[in-house]
Amino acid sequence: MATGVDQAAGMSLVVFSLLLFTYYSVWVIVLPFVDSDHVLHKYFLPREYSVILPGIAAVILLLCIGAFTAVVMWKNRKPKKAD
Amino acid sequence: MTKLLEWLFGVSLVGAVWALVTFDLLDLSLPKTYREVAWPMPLYLLVSFGCYSLATVGYRVATFNDCEEAAKELQGQIKEAKEDLRKKGLKM
Repeated sequence: MATGVDQAAGMSLVVFSLLLFTYYSVWVIVLPFVDSDHVLHKYFLPREYSVILPGIAAVILLLCIGAFTAVVMWKNRKPKKAD
Repeated sequence: MTKLLEWLFGVSLVGAVWALVTFDLLDLSLPKTYREVAWPMPLYLLVSFGCYSLATVGYRVATFNDCEEAAKELQGQIKEAKEDLRKKGLKM
């Protein structure tokens, strides 16, 4: 069975993704229809960042995946050469 | 191959509509807000997909459970196989 830690981790993942989805939806879809002097605009960065930040996140993620793959392949190759 | 073509067709259709709205290729004179919403749509879809994946993984982690009946079934099958092999003269 899933332990308490597992449940906490899983539920926090779900909550985090829901929050992120809601915030990003409001940022991208609702905000253009709101007047630019509305209070809501204070809680969001300028609209350019709604593309720049996910782009940076995607680059970092891809770099991490690439580094992980490289490390795993490098570790697996060494014993083969010794054989 | 047909499934691939189906997907390619669907993706190109959506991409064409997106380009039409974003770059205003047909001079539809849509309001500027529509184009502002349509422009980051591909990234928005990507982010939504990422959120959905994260939520699915989290939900499955939270509700991970033991399969006790399947474990019993598998143990039974292992026993059966061992007896069968013993009958056929295999020493274990």
